[in-house]
Amino acid sequence: MKVQPRDPGGFAPELNELLARRAQRIREKPAEAEDENLLWVAEFPVGEETYALPLDTLRAAVPLKMVTPVPLSPPHVIGILRFQGQIVTALSLASLLGGRGWREDPAVLLVVDPGFGRLVALDCERIPKPSGLPHAQVAEARALSTGATCEITLAGARQVSLLDLLRLMDRRQGQEKR
Amino acid sequence: MMDPLLEQLLAGFVDEAQEIYERVARSMMELEKAPAQGASFDELARGLHTLKGSAATLGLEALADFAHRMEDVVLPLRGSSKPLPARLSDAVLKSLDVWMAHLRATAAKGPLPDLAPSVALLETVKPDAPVPAAGKSRRKKNGKGPTAAETLAASVARAPEPEPAVAPTPAPVPAPAEDAQADSWRVTTRQVIALLHEVERLREVRLRLEERRRDIDKALQQLDRLGIQAETAEARSVLLGIRRALGADGEEAADIVASMEDGLKSISTMPMRTVIEPLRRAVRDICKATGKQAKLAVVGAEVSLDRRVLEQLRGPLVHLVRNAVDHGLELPEVREARGKHPEGALAIRVEQQGNMLFIEVSDDGAGLDLEQIREAALRRALVPPEELANMSTQQLHQLIFRPGFSTKAEATEYSGRGVGLDVVRNQIQALQGQVEVQSVAGQSARFVLTLPADLGSSPVLVVRCGEHQLGLPMVAVESSRGARSKDLRVGRARVQIEHREQLIPVQDLGALVGLRQPEVPAEGQPLLILQSQGRTMALSVDEVLGDRELVIRPLPVEIRELAAYQGAATLARGELVLILRPDFIVGAERRADTGLTSTRRALVVDDSLTARALHRTALETGGYLVHTASNARQAIEQLRHSAYDVMVCDIGMDEMDGYELTAAVRQRAETDSMPILLVSARDSENDRQRGLAVGADGFLTKKDCVSGRLLSEVGSVIARRKGAA
Repeated sequence: MKVQPRDPGGFAPELNELLARRAQRIREKPAEAEDENLLWVAEFPVGEETYALPLDTLRAAVPLKMVTPVPLSPPHVIGILRFQGQIVTALSLASLLGGRGWREDPAVLLVVDPGFGRLVALDCERIPKPSGLPHAQVAEARALSTGATCEITLAGARQVSLLDLLRLMDRRQGQEKR
Repeated sequence: MMDPLLEQLLAGFVDEAQEIYERVARSMMELEKAPAQGASFDELARGLHTLKGSAATLGLEALADFAHRMEDVVLPLRGSSKPLPARLSDAVLKSLDVWMAHLRATAAKGPLPDLAPSVALLETVKPDAPVPAAGKSRRKKNGKGPTAAETLAASVARAPEPEPAVAPTPAPVPAPAEDAQADSWRVTTRQVIALLHEVERLREVRLRLEERRRDIDKALQQLDRLGIQAETAEARSVLLGIRRALGADGEEAADIVASMEDGLKSISTMPMRTVIEPLRRAVRDICKATGKQAKLAVVGAEVSLDRRVLEQLRGPLVHLVRNAVDHGLELPEVREARGKHPEGALAIRVEQQGNMLFIEVSDDGAGLDLEQIREAALRRALVPPEELANMSTQQLHQLIFRPGFSTKAEATEYSGRGVGLDVVRNQIQALQGQVEVQSVAGQSARFVLTLPADLGSSPVLVVRCGEHQLGLPMVAVESSRGARSKDLRVGRARVQIEHREQLIPVQDLGALVGLRQPEVPAEGQPLLILQSQGRTMALSVDEVLGDRELVIRPLPVEIRELAAYQGAATLARGELVLILRPDFIVGAERRADTGLTSTRRALVVDDSLTARALHRTALETGGYLVHTASNARQAIEQLRHSAYDVMVCDIGMDEMDGYELTAAVRQRAETDSMPILLVSARDSENDRQRGLAVGADGFLTKKDCVSGRLLSEVGSVIARRKGAA
């Protein structure tokens, strides 16, 4: 019996588009993937800038749907959602970063593990793409940075801001206390 | 080095001894008030004997000998018609504490407490020999002399006060935190918790099956309404079959969930009794120290709770019970003068409703003294005098939870240090629970702890407010009714409604949770009559969606501090619904009195959740009170009821875009001059011109929406409108 692929027309158009883009990203995985001198990150835009977070902190990229807004919550809280049976808070990355502008309304939530034993979700405008950042440059940039991001300049003067999730969350807590 | 086998046996003996210790202590306290005979005395004697025998079996000679000495003190009094002398029971109880501490230290290989002072203490109360009758004969009315036990009891009671060098008595021994059975598996708490979460998920799936069955019912009803019986017969038959199968599956799933929950409960929980029983000793000790009399009644001690929660509850309960005796109950003579029984009544009632646990600690003492609370608050500068003068009774009651609060001028062993109820509240809040206090001056005080329990589900009434669904615990919903204008009393500051011949306040749910300006209920609008913290109020909602059985879970840490919510639950289709706290709602009126009101109001209309969050961030930074709408229809509804200083509106929205909304807003006299700023993801001159043409005052791309830019642009459009006016 020949196994038929599942009919892609069965999904909503935006979901099809999302899946196609995901597949494309995976196909585009760079050739230097095996290079151990690289820190693998998920790279995505926020407004005019490019941000990245270490791939090992990324648990999932899910469509920004089924989020329940939380009235009376701090403005950087988009809402809550269920993820693998847990209730997870969705946070606005642009708001956490201090009110950046944005090009497209975020359509994706990145479920991340900042390292304090629970998950949070951060919004972003597009599905992140995997890329590698040289470990040496990352170490140097981290040593210089005291904030929630560190700036890394890549070939062609391309700037990537690598997020330090723990510091980002600390900053948010600091803002709340104030 | 201890023999490994002995080590295992010892661990098991610690648990066994703890249970015996509790039984012996309870019997001792009973025999302080009743003749030294009967079942209580048997229990006491049996307990001491078992402690002695088991200790000897394990080679713990010192403990066996010590238990023997306690027996020597107690057993000669068997059969006395009098209660155990207070000094004797004090000495034995203190010795029991030391005995238990010694056993625990032995098991933990820690430093051993010295037994000698306690042995000396026991010697002072030991009735070595019958005391000869002094002076006149002490014959009973029946002509018989006192029994040997009574003579001994009398000798102990008359003996001089002992003055041995007694080591500090350890606190009553708490129950062991963990089991250490030799024949058990070692399973980590984490593994059990993971399993608990899986059962919770399974329960949710079970509840969703029930929802699916209701959906099929609805579909069948719709088919019935269509009236095409013949054409839909086959479809109806299929649906009926699915409905039946879902029902059977649901029942089977319910059985599995119940069975798994029972199994997990037996692993992960212990009865409340383990925390409550030692409180009897605490009550007894503090009564002795303060000269008061109290009887502790317990209801629901068999309710089982997560072991971790139990550990956390121990401190708060001890505190509440101590407070009840020390602060609440009056001295016996005062109680009698007030027409009360000299012995005060303390009660602990434990009840689990769904996955909520209620623990009530009450006493029939003097209640909270408002005057004393005011004085203490002033003395300790907790509240400015002018604020204190305007505080309601409820607000004054809340002061007792402030850090540093105490009505006692001088600290005693039990209270007055200003460390207490704030700690209780913090510990309960750390368990995602809350504490309420109710008091009737001169009559009673009642503290109610509400905590989420890991297993079970709770009945929740789901309501709609704008586009939001919110849940209310059914336990707080007294009834529901439609608003009738003839029953409403609309004043300048508040709205009330006549309900059962009383005027009660009416609050708009949308306004309470910051979604809109307060609205007076329209004719027929649903009103829920809520009761919490002894207050009744009416809550107006847009629609009542129905009651559900839901598993309420705590909110994530990021938003757990929000006072409005008890938690969240999953609805049938997987979406989350926030569950409101009844005390937050009934407390709304008080907050409104003291709350700050923003002078500038902005309405943000955007179909993107994140865009609304970002606009809100920027505008709130600029001091605006922000309401949001996710579509044009909702925005028009908001504008119909409330006035705004500015509207920030996205262009690309479904159904009715930003241009159409702007045009519609301009057509209404009430909003024809309201400043409007259009926001778009696209930076196009055409869009800009089109926006201005339909009446917008400004245009901004989303990439330019950095805080300062949005705020300055909003400021500009407001200024331009004012200038034009």
